[in-house]
Parts: sequence; structure tokens; C-alpha cells
Amino acid sequence: MTRPFLSIQGIRKDYGDFTAIRDVTLDIARGEFMTFLGPSGSGKSTTLYILAGFQDPTEGDVLLDGESLLRMPSHKRNIGMVFQRYTLFPHLSVGENVAFPLRVRRCAKSEIEDRVHAALRLVHLEDLAGRKPALMSGGQQQRVALARALVYDPPLLLMDEPLSALDKKLREELQFEIRRIHQETGVTILYVTHDQEEALRLSDRISVFSQGRIEQIGTGRELYAEPATRFVAGFIGDSNFLAADILSVAENKAKLSICDGIVIDGVPVQGRPAGTGRPTLLLRPERISLSHAREACGMPVTIRDLTFLGNMVEVSSVTDRDEPVKIRIPFGNRIVSELASGDRVWANFDPGSLHAFQD
Amino acid sequence: MLLDFNRLGGVRYFLVIVTGLVLLFLILPIVFIAALSFGSSQWLIFPPPSWTLKWYAELFSDPRWLYTALTSLKIAVIVTVLSVVLGFLASLGLNRGEFAGREQIRALFLTPMILPVIVLAVALYALFLKLGLAGTTAGFVIAHLLVALPFSIISISGALDGFDKSIEDAAILCGASPWEARLKVTVPSIRHGLFTAAVFSFLASWDEVVLAIFMSSPTLQTLPVKIWTTLRQDLTPVVAAVSTILVALTAVLIFTPLVFRKRQKDD
Amino acid sequence: MVSSISTGGTGGQGAAKRPFLSGPVSCIAPALVLIALFFIVPVLMLLVRSVLEPAPGLENYAILFGSTTYLRVFSNTFLVATLVTVVSVVVGFPVAWALAILPRRWAVFLLAAIVLSMWTNLLARTYAWMVLLQRTGLINKILVNLGIVDSPLALVNNITGVTVGMVYIMLPFIILPLMGVISSIDASILRAASLCGANRWQSFTRVLLPLSLPGIAAGALMIFVMSLGYFVTPALLGGASSMMLAELIAQLVQSLVKWGLGGAAAFVLLVVTLGLYFLQLRYLKVDKRS
Repeated sequence: MTRPFLSIQGIRKDYGDFTAIRDVTLDIARGEFMTFLGPSGSGKSTTLYILAGFQDPTEGDVLLDGESLLRMPSHKRNIGMVFQRYTLFPHLSVGENVAFPLRVRRCAKSEIEDRVHAALRLVHLEDLAGRKPALMSGGQQQRVALARALVYDPPLLLMDEPLSALDKKLREELQFEIRRIHQETGVTILYVTHDQEEALRLSDRISVFSQGRIEQIGTGRELYAEPATRFVAGFIGDSNFLAADILSVAENKAKLSICDGIVIDGVPVQGRPAGTGRPTLLLRPERISLSHAREACGMPVTIRDLTFLGNMVEVSSVTDRDEPVKIRIPFGNRIVSELASGDRVWANFDPGSLHAFQD
Repeated sequence: MLLDFNRLGGVRYFLVIVTGLVLLFLILPIVFIAALSFGSSQWLIFPPPSWTLKWYAELFSDPRWLYTALTSLKIAVIVTVLSVVLGFLASLGLNRGEFAGREQIRALFLTPMILPVIVLAVALYALFLKLGLAGTTAGFVIAHLLVALPFSIISISGALDGFDKSIEDAAILCGASPWEARLKVTVPSIRHGLFTAAVFSFLASWDEVVLAIFMSSPTLQTLPVKIWTTLRQDLTPVVAAVSTILVALTAVLIFTPLVFRKRQKDD
Repeated sequence: MVSSISTGGTGGQGAAKRPFLSGPVSCIAPALVLIALFFIVPVLMLLVRSVLEPAPGLENYAILFGSTTYLRVFSNTFLVATLVTVVSVVVGFPVAWALAILPRRWAVFLLAAIVLSMWTNLLARTYAWMVLLQRTGLINKILVNLGIVDSPLALVNNITGVTVGMVYIMLPFIILPLMGVISSIDASILRAASLCGANRWQSFTRVLLPLSLPGIAAGALMIFVMSLGYFVTPALLGGASSMMLAELIAQLVQSLVKWGLGGAAAFVLLVVTLGLYFLQLRYLKVDKRS
């Protein structure tokens, strides 16, 4: 029975009366790229700082390779970290910045030179070893920070929203770089971000945080296709939410009524025990097709607006109950040219691809 | 209108004249003393009958003047080192700690700067008489440290406020122990604040008169005390010579940090 | 963002508690101990002595406020402090005003002169006035030569000498802060005033002066408090009849070894100083609200 590489067990952090995070438990495999995804204040950064040693948890433990990490002070944990605000040492050159962890570990001079050079080559900055950080761009500084965090071969690399301070194009470039470095070095990465697209691009698995707890852990695909809670459904991918009434439930599949009397059968239900409360129905915009005639399963909508987005068209519409519904149709699809604002058409979908949430 | 220099009209002349007079008022006495230090009159008659360097010669040939100057220097250096170290520690605690009474303690540290020195001098004198510290170098250092520390704390706190602590955290994660991180990363980053603290602490001790009078003994005197006791007796031009040298030193000490800071901005 | 970093090896079982004296508190400790032992304790001791020596009771204070000699010292002190404050403010205000609005080149030059004057050794500066103001000094020589007076005036070893010397020392302390205050006044406010029809005098009395008042008050208070407790310059430039409080304290303690009385005088000075600072804090708070 192989034990997990990094095991986070029951972490809880209280500030007086306020609980910042609770019941944070997950296992991470060696070499995995795990992302903590969530809005600001959801607790993802707090968890990261507990791992880094900047905070002590109120309860719980963290085991790295079987040993409790929390017993050690920050500087002995041998973890790499990259922050949002580059945090390079301003009085040292790039080369000296990267050499710093090795000097502090009293490595031999020749060894330091070799490893610094290797680390800078990894991030494609070997020629800039002599420059001062203040003279470099944000993207370059972040790459130096990455080199500095990896130069001592840490078993674990923590990254706290490292790309939020960069513009979109640079962000995409660096996302690619991070993915490449992960593949080349095989280091275990814990990445924090609020950007779901970034999480989907980079990660092996994602932990979705909300209000101090983990709502769901899974691959991007799992989270998108099988969201466990309404929050996860709304946070990953685009979504439409409709109010629904439960008519009956059988084997975790419900028969619901939506809009004005439209009945849908066979919808998977999550959340509290079925049969009580008013659930919400999730429809993905790209899973809806439009037609003039009624088809097997669907509801009538009135089109408000059509927006051309390059490779697809986004149709804004409302149900008979005035609930907004967004539909995405690939640009090549014939029906697009037949649609106009004010038209009343049928929005069709497959009940098995829907989700109903009771929370 | 009143704050636009070019549109003041007649008021402009008034301002310029008053300012000019005040400028003369502030500078002329210093220049006057410098001139007198080269004059040959023992009763400081101006203009002097002839020019001479004899007062400087007398100054440098008198071992007591040199001795007191060296004593001042020794004490000032010790005070500077202690003030910067203690000020650094205190600033770290004040800037980063979150404990009850923090602002009150900060105010307490700054109090020796705003209260009349004579009160502190007399109080310390009494205490030191009891402890046997009166007339000792240690007593001197403690007294001067009390008035130098506020300058140090103000300067270093200001520099720490502008310092991003996550750089220090990053150093710790790189493997440096907390104090190693502070020495190798924080201290170099706030070096201008530390330098300013050192300069002000040095000047605070070097120039200090009142505490020095009470901390002195016949065998342990600083330069200001020697000047003071000399002036209580007569107005010899040797004091003019000492004053001129002190003015020159002050000018150098004041303008060096400015040059240093300008060069740092250009970096 | 982040709270303090664990300094020692205090990881613990998750529910780690920091030892009481770690981190920031222990950093402050050395300086705090210094201040407590060598500032708070001695001053308190002095106060205690003032009510215990030579015999327990408030006798020392009675003597201080009862004897004409000592009362003279108090009145000298307050008189000089008031004179110095008034002269400094009146002379310093135009200079601060000029500094705030002069073209850069001149302002820098002027500022350098003021800073140099402020940081020059106090004894050197006081000595300069001792020489200038003596009977055979330059100023009397000029006055007599120009025929303004018949015989040299007694300009030193009295209140006149002390006042001149103190104004010389205190001027930078009102000019620099006041310059800052005036600089921060938006010039367009005064332009607006003149557009509204105010002539220069009205602009001055109704706009510039009121807006500068907080700076003037703060500077004036600082100078007043400093003058009350000043030792060196009054001692050197003053005479026996013009003795001020600081010199009295020194004399009582050093020459006359009357610790109780000296302590009482020191305590009076301390209380007045603290009281004035307290008033300033109160006044500033009110000002910020309005």
C-alpha cells in the first residue's frame, strides 16, 4: 500500500471566532500538479501558507513523505515557493538571487555555479545572470523567482497566484513555461489561482475551495462533467441555472418541472437527500441546441440578443419565467443565420447531461 | 495670488527683504566666528588687526582638547553602534508585532526626544551617583543612547515601512533561518535607513551638551563639556577655532547622506 | 497577508502555540528595558525625592512657589519663552512663506543655509552671540560708530542676550514645518480669493493666515516648550538676574546639592511640558475633525 507523497489531514484554521478554513483533507501524488481553485477569501492561500510555514493551523497535520511538515520551522522545510509579487532580492543580481538558497545551505562554490546555470537554463534566462531584478520585466522576474525556487531541487513547489500580476499574453506564455518545467523536472506542484481557465490548462487535478472548505477534488474534466455542488458547477465552465420543482425521485434521478410546466425526467441529483427543497437545474450553454420545432426534451425561449464571438455565437435568451439562458452555438451551424432578436424558439437538451443541485 | 511668487507685487519685496535679512542673521554669526578664529586679537576684536593660525596651533598642541575630542568620538561611535542595533530590533518589533499597547510603547520610545533634557540629565545623575556610574564611560553611553534611540527608531521604522516583508519570507523559504534572512536580505534592503539612523545617532551624541555636563568628571569629558567649561571662564578664540572645525565637520556629515541617497536613486 | 513567521522550532501538532516572548516582543525588549531602567525609573525617583527630601511632604514645592527669588526664575522663564516664541513666529512666517513659493533654485539655497544653521554645534552658535553681543563686540561697535547710541548697550548677560540667542536657535524649528504647511495650501484657493474681489491684505488675513494657523500653532507650541526647558543658551548668554528654570535645576543639584528642591523644580518643568503637549494633542484632534 503506497502512502501518498503529500498528505494534508484535517486542517483547520481559526482566527478567534472566525474559521478561515476547515476539514481540508487531500492526498497528492509525487509529481502531481494540483491546483487550489477558488474566489478570494475561499481559504486556498491560507492552506498554502500553512504548508509554507507562515501560519500554524489550529488543528490538523501535513505529512510529506510520511514526516510531519508542521514540526519543522519554515526554513528547514526545503519547499520552493513562488509568490504573486516576485519577491526577488533587490540588492542582488539575478545570478546571486538564484544562488542564495545554495549559499545558505553552504554548498561548494563550483557546485553553486553549475546548479545556478542549470536553473537559469531551465527558465531560458542563462544570459541575464548579471542583471539586477529592477531592470527586468515582470515576466522575466517571475521566471527568476521560479529558478530560485527550483535550484535546490525541492520535493514540493508552492505557487501563490504567480501570474495574476501579468498581462494576458504574458500569462499564457508563462503558463506554457510552467507546464513545460513541470514535465521536465517532475516536481510536485501546488498551485493557487482564482482563474478557472488557468487551472484547467495547467493542472492534473483541481481542488475547488469555497468559504474555507474544499467543495470537490478532481480532474478538470470530472469537475466540469460531474460537478458535486452548485458552486463547483458555477465556477468551472459556463452555466445556466434554472429554478425547478421536484415531482418525484427514483435511484438518484429526479423528475423535475421547470419553467411553466415543462417536465424533464432522468436528471442526476446532488446535494441533500432528494425529496425536499427547491433545487436548481444546471444547463451548460454549449449543450443546448436550438430548433424551430419542439424536439424530444426542451423548453421554449425568447431570443434577446446574438453576439458573434469568432468561432461561435452566443445567444442571450429568456425562458417564459424570465430566467436568463445563454446558449453557445458553433458559428458553422445553419440555424444561426435563421435567428433574430425577438424570435421564439425551442432550446433542446439531453436530460442525462443535466445536473440538479439541492444545496 | 498670494502663493504665486510672480504675482505678489509689492509684497514680494517685503518677503525677499525679510528672507534675506534672516538668511544673513542665520549665516553671518557662523561666518563671523570662522573669521575670528583666524584673527590675532585675543579679545575678539573685529576686524582683527592681523590674521594668524596661532589659535589652531594652540588647539592642536593642547593635549586636553585632543583628549576630549577623542573621548567624544569614542562615545559617539559606541552610541551609534548600539543605537542602530537596538533601534533596528525595536523597529522590527514595533512594525511587525501585534500586541496591546504597541502605539503607546512607540510613543514612549520617542519621549526622550521631546522632554527637556535637563530633567533627564538630573534624574540620571541622581541614579548614576547611587549606582556608581557617574563619570564613567558606561554612564555616558547610556545617557546618550537614550536621546539617540528615538532618531534611530524613526529612521529605521520608516525604512521598514517601505520594505516588502514577503522578500524576507522568500529568503526563509529559500532555507535561511529568520535571523539569517534579516541580516542577509532585510538589512541590505534598508541600508539607507540604517545609514541615516547612524548619522543622526552620531550627531546626537557628538553634539550633546546637557547630559554630558552631568555625566562628566574631571577625568572624563567630552568636547562639548570642555567648550562649556572654557566658556564659563573666558571667551578665548581657541573656542572659535574649535567651533569652526565643528561647523566644517557638520557640513560634511550632513551632505554625505544626501549625496549617498542621490546615488542610490540613480542606481 | 501573512502573520509572523515561526522563529524557533515550534511546529507542534498543528495546534502550535508560540512561547510568550518570541518574535516581535523579544525584539523590543532590549530597548524597552533600557528606557524603563534609565528613563522612567530615574525620573520617578526624582519625583519621589522631591517629596521626601529633606523631610516628607510638599515643603519643597511650598518653597519654590513661596520665595521671590524662585518665582523670579519662573517668571523669567515664561517671559523669555513667550518673547522667543512671538519673535520667532513673526520673523519666521514670512521666511516660511517665501520658502514655500520661491523658485526652486533660491529655495534650495535658502533651505541649505537653514539646515546648516540648525545642525551646527549649539555651543558654537551660542559662542558666536556671546562674542557679538559683548560690550566691545561688533554690534555695539557698529551702534556706537553709527551714532545710534552714545555708549555700548548691555546686550548680553541679561534677558535681551538670552532672547536673541534663543531666537537664533529656534527659528529653523518654526520655519521648516511652517514651510511644509504653506506648501500644502493649494495656490488656487488664493487665486480664487482674489477673483472674488479680495485685496491682498484681505486674502492674507481671511485666507492665508487661517489656513496656516495649525502649522503656526504647532510650531509655536514646540518652540515655547523647548524654550521653557532650555539650558545651554540661557546659561551662557544670561546673567544672575535672568536665570531660567533649567539653570536653576542644575544649580540646585550640582552646586547646592539640594536634591529635594531640584527634583521639585524638575518635576514642575516636566508637568508643564507634558501638560502643553497634552493640550496640543487635544487641539490637533479637534482640528482634524473640523
